[in-house]
Amino acid sequence: MESNKYIRLGPIAKAVLKEIVIIILIIIWLVPIYAMIINGFKSNTAVVTSKALIPTLPLTFSAYQEAWTVLNGPLLNSLSLIVPVSILSTFLGALGAYYLNGLTRSFNSRYRVLGNIIFVLVALGTFIPYQATLMPLAILMASLNLLGSYGGLLLSYLTFYLPTGALLMSVFIAVVPSYLIEAAKLDGASDFSIFFKVVLPVSLPGFISTLIFIFIESWNNFFLPLVLVTNPSSELVSVGVRYFTGGFGTLYNASFAAAVIASFIPLIIFIFLGRYFIRGILALGSGGKA
Amino acid sequence: MVNISVKNVTKIFKSKNNNVIALDNINLKIESGEAFGIVGPSGAGKTTLMRIIAGLDVPTSGEVLFDEKVVSKDGKILVPPEKRNIGMVFQNWALYPNLTAFENIAFPLRNQKLPEDEIRRKVQEIAEILGISHVLSHYPRELSGGQQQRVAIARALVKSPSILVLDEPFSNLDTALRDSARALVKKLQEKFKVTTLIVSHDPADIFSIASRAAVLVNGKIEQLGSPIEIYNNPVSLQVAKLVGEIVTGKGVVTSVDGKKVIKCGNLIFQPVLENSINESEEVEFGLRPEDVKIAKDSKLEGFELAGKVVVKVSSYSGGVFKIVVSPLENEEIELYALSDMPMKEGEVVNLFYRKEKIKVFLKNYYLKKTELQS
Amino acid sequence: MANKSVLFVIPVLFFSGLLIYLILWNLYYSFTDWSVINPVPKFVGFETYLTTITSSTFIDSLLHSLEISVIMVIAGNIIGLLLAGLLFSIKSNSYRIAIMSIFVYPLTISMAANGLIFLWLFNPIIGINWILGLLHLPQPAWLAQDTIYSIILIMLWAYSGLSMLFYLASFMNIDKSIIEAAYIDGANYFRIFRKILIPNSMNGFIISTALLFLFSFRVFTLPYIITGGPINYYAETLLTYQYYLFDSSYFAQSSVVDTIVVAIALAVVVPYALLGMKRWVYGE
Repeated sequence: MESNKYIRLGPIAKAVLKEIVIIILIIIWLVPIYAMIINGFKSNTAVVTSKALIPTLPLTFSAYQEAWTVLNGPLLNSLSLIVPVSILSTFLGALGAYYLNGLTRSFNSRYRVLGNIIFVLVALGTFIPYQATLMPLAILMASLNLLGSYGGLLLSYLTFYLPTGALLMSVFIAVVPSYLIEAAKLDGASDFSIFFKVVLPVSLPGFISTLIFIFIESWNNFFLPLVLVTNPSSELVSVGVRYFTGGFGTLYNASFAAAVIASFIPLIIFIFLGRYFIRGILALGSGGKA
Repeated sequence: MVNISVKNVTKIFKSKNNNVIALDNINLKIESGEAFGIVGPSGAGKTTLMRIIAGLDVPTSGEVLFDEKVVSKDGKILVPPEKRNIGMVFQNWALYPNLTAFENIAFPLRNQKLPEDEIRRKVQEIAEILGISHVLSHYPRELSGGQQQRVAIARALVKSPSILVLDEPFSNLDTALRDSARALVKKLQEKFKVTTLIVSHDPADIFSIASRAAVLVNGKIEQLGSPIEIYNNPVSLQVAKLVGEIVTGKGVVTSVDGKKVIKCGNLIFQPVLENSINESEEVEFGLRPEDVKIAKDSKLEGFELAGKVVVKVSSYSGGVFKIVVSPLENEEIELYALSDMPMKEGEVVNLFYRKEKIKVFLKNYYLKKTELQS
Repeated sequence: MANKSVLFVIPVLFFSGLLIYLILWNLYYSFTDWSVINPVPKFVGFETYLTTITSSTFIDSLLHSLEISVIMVIAGNIIGLLLAGLLFSIKSNSYRIAIMSIFVYPLTISMAANGLIFLWLFNPIIGINWILGLLHLPQPAWLAQDTIYSIILIMLWAYSGLSMLFYLASFMNIDKSIIEAAYIDGANYFRIFRKILIPNSMNGFIISTALLFLFSFRVFTLPYIITGGPINYYAETLLTYQYYLFDSSYFAQSSVVDTIVVAIALAVVVPYALLGMKRWVYGE
C-alpha cells in the first residue's frame, strides 16, 4: 500500500468536503441569475444604492413594467421568427441528413465522395463564425430588397442554422439501426416513406434535441438581428436588451427586468426539456460522428 | 416463383490495412420453389452472400440472376432491393418499433398502395396461419421472442414474395422454441412453395428445412448437396464438423492380413477404402456419435470391434452421457462415445464402430470409399 | 439513390452553397479598396491587406482574440475536466443531472443578457467587489484595463459547462469494470481520476478544445455589450473590429478581417470535421 500523499480523511469528512465544494461551486454559478432576478424587483434608487447581491423589500414591479413596454413587441417578433426558424432548420436539416446518410452507405464510390463533400460543407456552415459572413449577406439582402423583411430575415437565419440542423440530425440518424432501413427497402418503401414512417419516428428524441438546441441558440443570437433588422418595430428581443445599457454602462433596475424577459423562454425550455438540450450539445461535439 | 443463379461471385472488403476476401468465386443455382440452405462457421461469408442475393450488398465481381435476368453485376446493383420482391426474416427480426404488429405486417402492402380492405384481409389471413391474430394490436416490444419472430415471418410472407430469405432465424429464440419454429417454417415453405434461402451456422436449421445445402468455409463452397449426403459423406473434416457432431482421432495406415487398416494406439479400424492410400500414411478418421459404441460385451450386432479402451471422464449433456475414453496402451489419445448409462472412471471396455460409416480424411480431405467389400 | 429523393438535400445544398458564396464574396472584396472614401471598388491586390494588417487596432484585436481563445481553451479544459471529475464521483443519477444543469444553464441565457448582469456585478461599488472586500480578497478593476479578463471570466462561467459535458461523456464511455477493479485494488477516487479517467478522455479533450476555441473565437456580443459599443481598445476582438469597420463603411477592410477570421476558423474546423467524418465513415 503506497503512502498517501494527501491528508488522511475519514470517509465522512471526505463526503462533507465534497458537498461543501459542490455547494460553493453551485453558488458561484448561480450568482448571475440570482442577481438578475432580485435586482429586477428593486426600485430604481434601491438598485443603485444597495448591493447587487442583496435583495430589498418591498418588491417593486416598476422595472418590469418599464422593460415590458419596450420589449413585449420584440418578444413577439422573436417568437414569430425563431419558432419557424427552428422547425424549418431541424426538419429540412433532417431531410438532408437522411439523404447524406444514404450517400455514405452507397456502393457507388462517387456518391460516397459526394456525401463527404456535403458533410464538410455542413460542418463549415455550423462552425464558421457567422459574423464573418454578415457583410456580404446584408449587402445581398439589400440588393434583393429583402433587407429587414421577414422573408429576408428568415432566409438569413436559415443560412446559418439549417447546416446546424443537418449536422445534428446526421448524428441522430446515423444511429438508427441500418437493418430497419434495409427491412423497409425490402418491403418496397420509397425514400419518402422510409424517412417519414421509419427514420423520423425512430429518431424522434434526436429531432426534439436538435429543435430545442437550435431554438435556444437562434433565440439568443445577437449579431444577426443587430445587422439585419433595420426597422425598429421588427426588433428582436435578444437585441432589444441593449437599450438598457445606457451607452456608457449606466444601468438601472429595468436592465435586469429586460434580461429576464429576454431569457425566460429559453430558460423555461431548459428547465423542462433540458436533457434534450444537453443531448443536442453532445451531438454537436461529436462533430458528425455517431 | 423464381430461380436464383449466382455466377462467379467474388466479394472483397477493402480496408486501409488489408483486403478481406469474403467470397471467392461462388457458383450456385437455386431452383424455383426449392428450400436451399447455406451453412458454415461465423465469418465464412454466408451473411455476405445472402445480402448480395437480397440486394443489400453488391458483388465485387460476378453476377446474380433471378430467372435468368441479371439483378446485380460487377459492383453495380441493377435491380434495387425494393424491386426484388424478396421477403426477408432478419436475425433480430428488424420489426419497426414505432408500429403495431398489424402495421408491421401491413407495411409492405401499404407500399404497394393496395386498398385498405384488401390489406386488412391479407394481414389477418397470414396472422391466422402463423397463430398471432391475437397480438396484432401490440407493439414489438410488448411481444415475446417467438411472437416477434412470427410477426417478422408474417411480414415477409404477406406480400407473396418470389424469394424468402431467412437469416439465422432461430438463433434469437429459446432452445425450447426452436423445434416448433423450424416445423412452422417448413410447413410454410411447403405450403407457399416459395424459393427459400436459409442461412445458418446451426446444422439443425438446415436439416429441418432445406432440401439442398451449400457449406461455405472461408468464402468458398466446400460442398454442395442434400443435407443427408453432406452428413454421411463430408468432403473434409471441417465440413463434417460443421454439419454435426463427429468423433475424431488420428491414426496411421498399416497392413493387416493384406488389408489396409488404420491403427490408433491399440485400436484397429478397418474402413472401406480405395487403394489410393499408402502404408504408414497419417490420416484422421471420424465417426458420427451414433456410429460409435462402448460396451463390456465382446460382440455387438452391426458393429466391428476396434479394441480395448479405458474410461477417462464421464459427463452428461443433452440427455446422454458423453464418455471420454483412451486406448488402453495410449492414454494420451482421447476419443469419446455416447452412452445411455454413466461409466466409472478407470473401467476397461470395448470400443465398437460401424465399419461402413467410418470416414477417413487424408490431409483434411475425404477419402472416397468403394463399394463394400465382403 | 439519385432519384426523386434528391429533393431531400436541396435545402441543405442551397444554404451551404449560399454560405460558400458569401465566403468567396468576402475574399473577392478583400482585394479591392471599397470603402466610404472609394464608393466604387477597384482591384488593388494585397494593398488593403497591408493597410488593415498593419493598423494597430487590427493587431490589438488579433492579439485579443487569440489571447481569449488560448486562455479559454486552456482554462476551460481544466475547469471542465475538474467539474467532470467532481460530477462523475456523484453516485446518484438525479443529483448528478441536477448539478450538471446548473453548470450548463448559462448557455441558455443570451450573451447580451449575461453582459448586462455582469456589467452590474462588476461595478466596483455595489457589485461582487463588495463581497470580495468582506472576505479580504483582492478587488480587481473589472471594467477598466482588466476588461478583457473580465470578459474571459464571464466566458469561462458560461462555457466551462460545455467542456464538462464532453469530459463527462468520455468518462461514461470508459468500461466500468476497469474502474471497479481499481476500487477493489484499493485506489481512491483521486487516483482513479488521474490514472484512469484522464488518460482515457482523449476524445473529450479533442471535442472540448475544438468547441471551446470555436465558441470563444466568435465571441462578439459580450465585448460589445460590456464595452457599451463597437469600439473599445481594451476589449477589441477580431469580430468586433470587423463589425466596426463594416459599420463605418470600410467594406474592403472589413472583408480582409472577415477572410482572416474564416481562414483561422477553417484551420480548426476542417481537420476536426475530417476527423469526425473518418470515424463516421469507417465506423468505430
